[in-house]
Amino acid sequence: MRPRVIGVALVLTSSLLLAGCSTGPKTTSKDFFVLTPESAANKSMQTRQFETRDADELLSASAAVLQDLGFQVTESDRSLGFLRAAKERSAREYGQEWTRGLVAFFSTILGALGGANTMMLMPIDLQQQINASLVAHPIPDDGDGARNEVRIVFYRLVWKGDGQSGDSYIPPGEQKMEMIRDARLYQSFFARLGKAVFLEAEKI
Amino acid sequence: MSSNPDANGRRTRSRAWAIALSGAIALGLAGCASPPEEPVDLLAPTEEQMKIRNLQTRTFDISDRQAAIRGVIQALQDLGFIIERANEPLGMVTGARFAEPRYFDVVGVTVTVRPVGDSRMTVRANAIFNNEPITDPEVYRNFFATLERSLFIGRN
Repeated sequence: MRPRVIGVALVLTSSLLLAGCSTGPKTTSKDFFVLTPESAANKSMQTRQFETRDADELLSASAAVLQDLGFQVTESDRSLGFLRAAKERSAREYGQEWTRGLVAFFSTILGALGGANTMMLMPIDLQQQINASLVAHPIPDDGDGARNEVRIVFYRLVWKGDGQSGDSYIPPGEQKMEMIRDARLYQSFFARLGKAVFLEAEKI
Repeated sequence: MSSNPDANGRRTRSRAWAIALSGAIALGLAGCASPPEEPVDLLAPTEEQMKIRNLQTRTFDISDRQAAIRGVIQALQDLGFIIERANEPLGMVTGARFAEPRYFDVVGVTVTVRPVGDSRMTVRANAIFNNEPITDPEVYRNFFATLERSLFIGRN
C-alpha cells in the first residue's frame, strides 16, 4: 500500500512540476503590436549610425562581417538595404546532459520504489540555428544622406532531441525560438563592421 | 460421401473470389457514398472578408514609395519583429516575432505598400498567430499607430 501511495504522490508532483514549465504568462495578441519600455533599449543596442554616403558599401561590408562570423547569407535586397543570414551549430551543453542523467536516475529509482515506470528522459537541446536580420538605410532627415544607420537583430532557433516520460516516448524535433539579447554580441558585430568600413560607429 | 477434392478446391477458390469482389465493391461504394459537399462560394468575397480587409488597410499621405517601405520596416523592427523578406519592386515586407516569453508561438506579418494616385500610399498588413489569422481590430490599429510614428514623427 505504502509504496503505491508514494508512487502516486511522485507522479502527481512531477506532473505539477511539468505543468509549471509549460505555462508561462500568456501574451495576448493585443500585445504584439505595441511598443514596450524595452523597445527603445533594444533599438539602441541593435542600431549604429555611420558617417558615410555609400549605403551599398555599408551593406556589402555588413555581409562580409557576417561571413567572417561564419554566417551564410540567405536573403538580400539591395534597394532596401536588407540582409538575412544564418548559421547552424550544435546546441548541446554539459549542464543539460548532467541534469538529464540525474533526472533519469532518480525518477527510475523512485518509480521502482513506487512500483511504476516513472523514468523521465528529458529531451535536451541538440541543434541550433543562429540567425541575423540586418537593415541598412540612409537617415531621412539628414537631407543629403550623409549618414547611414544599420540595425541588426540576432535570434536563434533550437531543436530538441527525443526523450521518454514513463512509458510514453517524446519524439524529437520540438522547437524553441528566442531573441538574442546579449549586448556583447551586438557590440562585437558593430566593432567589426566599423573596422570593415574604416569608420567609427556612433551610438544612437 | 467425401466430395471430389478437385471440386472442393474450386469451391474455396470461387468463395475467395466472391469475398474479394464484394470487398472491392464495398470500397467502391464507400468512395461514392459520401461525396464531399461542394462549397459554391468558396472564392466569393464575404462580408467578413471585406471587414477584415478594411481593418488591415490604411492610406497615408506620402509620395515617396521607398520611404514608405522603409517606414514599414522600421516600424516592424521597433515592434520587435525580425524582417524575414523584403522586396522593393513589389513593395512587400514579411516579418515575424516570437510571442515571448512563450517560446513556441510565432506572430507573422506581411505588409504591402502600393501607390494610390500621385501622392498617397495604401498599406495593407496581414498578421497571423501560429497559422491563424488575427482579426482583432485593435492589433491593426496598434500597428498603424506605430507606422504613422515611424513615417512622420520618427525621423529624428
